[in-house]
Amino acid sequence: MEILTASKLIKSYGKKTAVNDVSFTINVGDFIGLLGPNGAGKTTTIKMLTGLAKEDSGKIFYNGINFKSDPIECKRLIGIVPQNSNVDRDLTAYENLYMQAILYSIPVNERKKKINEILDFAGLIEYKDKQVKTFSGGMKRRLTLIRALLHQPKILYLDEPTVGLDPQIRRSMWELILKINQQKSTSILLTTHYIEEAERLCGKVMIINNGKIIIEGSPDELKKGIGHFVLEEFVDDAIKEDFFETKETALNHLKDCVNSCKIREVSLEDVFIKLTGKRINA
Amino acid sequence: MLNGFLGILYREFSVYRRKAAKQILASSISPLLYLIAFGYGFGNKVDIGGMSYITFLVPGLIAMASLNQSFSIAQELNITRFYFHIFDIYLTAPVPPVQIVMGEAVYGMFKGFLSAGIIFVLAFIFGVKLIINPMFFPAIIIHTLIFTTLGITVAMLVRDHGDQATVNNFIITPMIFLCGTFFPIDRLPVIMKWLVYFLPLTYSSKVIRATLTGGAVDYNYLLIMSGFAIVFFITSLLAVKRVEG
Repeated sequence: MEILTASKLIKSYGKKTAVNDVSFTINVGDFIGLLGPNGAGKTTTIKMLTGLAKEDSGKIFYNGINFKSDPIECKRLIGIVPQNSNVDRDLTAYENLYMQAILYSIPVNERKKKINEILDFAGLIEYKDKQVKTFSGGMKRRLTLIRALLHQPKILYLDEPTVGLDPQIRRSMWELILKINQQKSTSILLTTHYIEEAERLCGKVMIINNGKIIIEGSPDELKKGIGHFVLEEFVDDAIKEDFFETKETALNHLKDCVNSCKIREVSLEDVFIKLTGKRINA
Repeated sequence: MLNGFLGILYREFSVYRRKAAKQILASSISPLLYLIAFGYGFGNKVDIGGMSYITFLVPGLIAMASLNQSFSIAQELNITRFYFHIFDIYLTAPVPPVQIVMGEAVYGMFKGFLSAGIIFVLAFIFGVKLIINPMFFPAIIIHTLIFTTLGITVAMLVRDHGDQATVNNFIITPMIFLCGTFFPIDRLPVIMKWLVYFLPLTYSSKVIRATLTGGAVDYNYLLIMSGFAIVFFITSLLAVKRVEG
C-alpha cells in the first residue's frame, strides 16, 4: 500500500534547478535511501515533502490525500529528523517531547506515558529532566529521532541523520533506526551521502545527482547492474576501474596489470561513479 | 483543536520561566534610566499641559517599553528561525499558520504587559501619581498586539540578523523618539507632525497617556489602533504562510 506518492517534483532557486522532475512512491514499511553528493537535491526534496519548501510544480500525496489541499491531515502522518538537529536546547528532553505531544494533539492523559516509553526506547530516560544544552551530539540526535516518532507517524524522513557523528555513535544510531523500522513498521526515507549507511540500512536506494534520480533499486540490484567485482588499477594519480561478473574473471585480468592493482567487491559508490563519472563524497 | 497555539505557548513560557529574572531585570534598566535622567533631572521643573514632566513621561515610557518588549519577539523568532531552526518544528507540525501567529502574539503581548507592569512599579517608587482609567486595559492590549504582530511580520520577512537591525534602526527607534513618548508631537515641525500620524505609536502613546493621566480618551484613536492591529495581524499571517512551504 502506498503511503507517499511524489510526482514530477521540480524546485528551482533562482537559475539553479535543485530538484528536476523527481517522482517516486513509498509503500508501508519501506526503508528507502536517497543517496547523492552534497547539493544533489536531497534536502530540497525532503523540504518539499514536509512543507518547508513549496514545489514549483509536481504533486505530493500521502495515503491518497493531496498535500496541497489538506496539509494538516498529511502532516499528521509525517515525522521528520532534519539535517540540523532542532531540539530546543533551553528545554529539557521531557519538555521537548511534551511540546511535540501538544503540537500533534496527543491526548493529555496519554502524554506522560508515551514520552517516558519513547525516552526509554532511545536510552534517554535517565536524562529526561536535563536541559538539552547539556547533551552530547549523539544524545541530541537520538532525542530528535524519538521526537519525530512520538505521534507514531506513518512515514519518517531522516535527512542526513548521522552527519557529523563519530563512527561509534553513527552505528548506534543505525541500530536505533533499524529498530524503529522493524518494531514500529514505520516507512522511512533516509537521505545520506554515506555509502555504507545506505547499504547497511536501506532495502531500496535511489541515487540522485544534479536534482535528478538517475537510478533506483535494491543495493544488490544496483551493484549487480555493473558487476560483482571491481579491478582497480592505480595509474599515476588516477584509478582505472574495470567491473567483472565473477572474481575469477577479475583475477584473470589481474595477471595483465602492469601497475599496482587491487580486486574488491562492488559498492554503491562504484555505481555512482559508473553513472556520473565522479565520487559521491568528492 | 488549539494544539498549535497551546504548543507554542508551552514552549515560549517554558523557556521564559528559566530566563524570567534576567529578562525582567534587563527590561527594567532602560526605563529606570529614563526616569532618573529625564524624570529626576527636570521632571518637576518642566510642566507640559498642566502636568509635571515626570507624570507626562511615565505613560510614554509604558508605551515605549511595552512596544520594545512586544516587538522583541522579532529577534527571538529570528534566532529560532535562522540559528536553532525551532520554527521549522511549527511549520512541519499539523498546525495552521493562524495558530502560530496567535501563539507568538500572546507571548509577545505578555512580555509587553510585563514591561508596562515594571514601569507602574517604578513610577510608584518615584512617587508618580497615575489615575488609571479602565480604558487603559483595552488600549495596552491593542498596543502590544500591534507591535507583536509587526514583530512577527518583520521576523518572517527578514533574511538575517542584519536586516532585523536595519528595521530597528530605521523604523522602531525613530518611532520611539518622535511619536509622543518623550514630548508632545505638536512641538514637531509641520512635515514631521504630518508624518508621525502614519505611525501607530503616535495613537497609542496618546491614548495610553490619556488613560493614565485623567485625560479624555479619543475613541477614534482607539479605532485607528485597532485598524493597525488588524492590518499587522493579517500581514503576520501572510508572512508565516509565505515561509511555510
